[in-house]
Amino acid sequence: MSDVEDDFQQHSGGLDEEHEEEEEEEVEHPPKKDRRRYDDDEEDEDEEDEEDDEDEDEGVDRGRKRAKHRHRRNAVNRFLDVEAEVDEDEEEEEEEDEEFGRGFIDEVGGDADGEEDVVARRDHARLDRRQRELNDQDLAKIAADFSERARRTSVRYSGDMNEIPQRLLMPSVHDANLWQVRVKPGKERDLVFSLMRKAIDLEFSNRPLQILSAFQRDSLPGMIYVEARSAKQVNEACTGLVGIYPSRGIILVPIEEMASLLQIKKQDLTVTPGTWVRIRRGKYQGDLAQVMDITENGEEVGLKFIPRIDLNPRDDASADGKKRKKAGSTQASFSMRPPQRFFNFEEVVKVYGRKAVSKRNQQFVFQNDTYKNGFIEKDFRLTALQLDNVNPTLDEITQFTRGKDGTENEANVDLSIIAEASRKAAISVLQPGDHVEVFEGEQSGVHGTVHSIEQDVVTIQPVGVEFDGQRVQIPARSVRKRFKPGDHVKVMTGQNADETGLVVSVMESVVTFLSDMSMQEVSVFSKDLREAAEVGTGTNIVGNYELHDLVQLDLQTCGVIFKTERDSFRVLDQNGQVRLVQPHQISMRRDSSRAIATDSEGHELRIGDNVKEVDGESRKGRVLHTHQSFFAFLHNRDYPDNGGVFVTRARSLVSLAPKGNVMKLGSADLSKMDPSRSGGAGGGMVGSGMMGRGPRDRLIGMNVVVIKGPTKGYLGTIKDTNGPVARVELLTGNKVITIDKLKLHHKK
Amino acid sequence: MFFIKELSHTILLHPSYFGPRMLQYLESKLYADVEGTCSGQFGYIIAVVSILDIGKGMVLSGSGQAEFITRYRAIVFKPFKGEVVDGVVNNVNKMGFFADVGPLTVFVSHQVRHSPLVSITSFRITNLFLGPSLLTASSPQIIEKNTKVRLKIVGTRVDATEIFAIGTIKEDHLGVID
Repeated sequence: MSDVEDDFQQHSGGLDEEHEEEEEEEVEHPPKKDRRRYDDDEEDEDEEDEEDDEDEDEGVDRGRKRAKHRHRRNAVNRFLDVEAEVDEDEEEEEEEDEEFGRGFIDEVGGDADGEEDVVARRDHARLDRRQRELNDQDLAKIAADFSERARRTSVRYSGDMNEIPQRLLMPSVHDANLWQVRVKPGKERDLVFSLMRKAIDLEFSNRPLQILSAFQRDSLPGMIYVEARSAKQVNEACTGLVGIYPSRGIILVPIEEMASLLQIKKQDLTVTPGTWVRIRRGKYQGDLAQVMDITENGEEVGLKFIPRIDLNPRDDASADGKKRKKAGSTQASFSMRPPQRFFNFEEVVKVYGRKAVSKRNQQFVFQNDTYKNGFIEKDFRLTALQLDNVNPTLDEITQFTRGKDGTENEANVDLSIIAEASRKAAISVLQPGDHVEVFEGEQSGVHGTVHSIEQDVVTIQPVGVEFDGQRVQIPARSVRKRFKPGDHVKVMTGQNADETGLVVSVMESVVTFLSDMSMQEVSVFSKDLREAAEVGTGTNIVGNYELHDLVQLDLQTCGVIFKTERDSFRVLDQNGQVRLVQPHQISMRRDSSRAIATDSEGHELRIGDNVKEVDGESRKGRVLHTHQSFFAFLHNRDYPDNGGVFVTRARSLVSLAPKGNVMKLGSADLSKMDPSRSGGAGGGMVGSGMMGRGPRDRLIGMNVVVIKGPTKGYLGTIKDTNGPVARVELLTGNKVITIDKLKLHHKK
Repeated sequence: MFFIKELSHTILLHPSYFGPRMLQYLESKLYADVEGTCSGQFGYIIAVVSILDIGKGMVLSGSGQAEFITRYRAIVFKPFKGEVVDGVVNNVNKMGFFADVGPLTVFVSHQVRHSPLVSITSFRITNLFLGPSLLTASSPQIIEKNTKVRLKIVGTRVDATEIFAIGTIKEDHLGVID
């Protein structure tokens, strides 16, 4: 009949009993039809219930039945999504009208059974009343009702389409709290699963877990988060689980931090075969590797990289013992990791024996790793890899492409691979004002200065007659920094960082420049370069010596390195002479950090002090070194000569900053120096051995016992005293300790 | 490029030099102090042409030294980008060669790629074969120590006390000069 009825049948279809009842109803259809005529008024709402319990309710008091119907209706309504279905609602209304109309017609031509007639008449009266009520109702109100209903549904719908305002989803004070619990690091995930199993297990027991949820974050090791109303509930849930430490505090997570805990950081893993990655941990930490394949779940990737095989294992014991030991030792002595070297079957066999290496078509298996074409091929978890900021250097790439036999496979080391990889990074290094050129696309060949950068579109101000002040927008990936031979550049990143030099040649995106420092040619990507005015320090270390080191040149002369060149130094010696020396001409480096020199006022001169000359040119500078208490090497960037290093006499210096008394009082006891205060202890007699050594403390040589502190109970002999403390040589262990005199007791 | 430039220099004179030969001493001290030095701003001071004003000696209180602010005229040499200069090869290595242009050192890189006529195989450490210029278009030039070359400066690096330049000989009329 109506859609509602259909709906109901659908919903109740799952329950067998009701279904059967309906089967029966089909049989009893005719009587129902009759009755329906009288029940017209309530048919719209009660129909379905009526059908439901018709058989049993036949002949029962109608009033009671109606009451029951009202009640039942609600129960049924639970299954009906009436409000959600606006269209059906409206259809229903129409149908209602039909029913009403039919009812009247039926009534006019209706049967006139005595008792039923009464009932019918009563019903009709009610129907009339209701109709009247309906008419009396303010039309505006009806309209309002309808719009209200429509509005509500419309809100619901938009809600279903993921449009719930975020703030409504945020936790508030009324929601359960999040509690942070310390756990054993590495066990977080297991413990969350344990909690879940425990919750399922106890779900229908008389003491179910009252926690609502639990989770862990990989980024936060050693802690899990539990959602519960109170800390007590969390504690109950955690008891009995191993590796969870509620005793270390169940910390409430502030409401405003709850959401951020659950935020998933958006990370696009763009690992495709061929990409470069770096290994994060282990023996190959920091090494460049190339992705070969990726497992389907994306958790592991197969990598190819240059192995580090230890060809000089420490012990020459038997093969198996060695292998086990080696595994341990390489872990322990990580600093001693073997150099990168291509796998060489002969070499490895020579060191490890033929048994250690097995060969399977073109591949070698050695210590559970597979080697192919000199490379090691190994699976790594994604978490153990560094995917961004890989920045492979030219050297690394050439090493990769060179292959194991050492000859370059093809003269053209395919720089485009790495250039492509680094191109993305190149966008980020562009700055307004940079000189760039367009190397691909329509505008190829145009060059100019960067005006502005938005996302990955750069606006450049091209140089040239035909562009008359107009600006061109170019995708950032098709521009590159432009350098001309003769430009003075500085390397910003990479292996040669801080190196400066003059550009000698430019080949596409590879710039070759002559380093200022080493006078060597260096090739780098133009993206790593910037134009620079200053001369870079490059490397300040040659051999074992560094810039500003004090070095011994020969027996008489010492000097300070003020300039490092490729393989030599410029040294300013104590006489003010500049010498060019090779590292092998330096006999040793001197440490003057403990050298003592005094300035013109008798104060101690320390390294790093800012001082001034009192005579001569009154130069200022910072003390680099002092030598033989007489010479001081100072440094001041303002002096162009000798890199700002100059030598002067320590006696002609004065400190720029006021200095306190040199005699640091500290803990030294002055009373000991005062003979009159030393308690009149008998000094050495004239002629005795102790003559001239000052008064001797009576306590020295006394046997004592320690009565306090960690060495309590130990016996010893006082060797020396200094004010309130004494140095005691303990009988045990032949140890001398410094201890408060109050903690000692005389031992006869 | 050479310039005649008016410059000034401050001389501190110890009282022991005060006397009849003080002026001569000041002059020789000025020559010794400034000739052959290099400042980033003006380039190399090649020679003092004339002393304009030896300055009035001001005795400094405290030390007794006299301070002369001397004005003089000097020939200065400052290299510029694009300038063509002649020099003598000082050192040849695998990357190129260094040439002395007076006090200035110029590095000329051998970048063979630009010159298709030069093969890498003919390259040796001691002497360098570079592409033919119009001067001697027929035979390759041999560049070794003490060869005179004409080169063009393509870039300079100016420090406080030093100027360094790189140059090229891969243009017309540049290269070995006989």
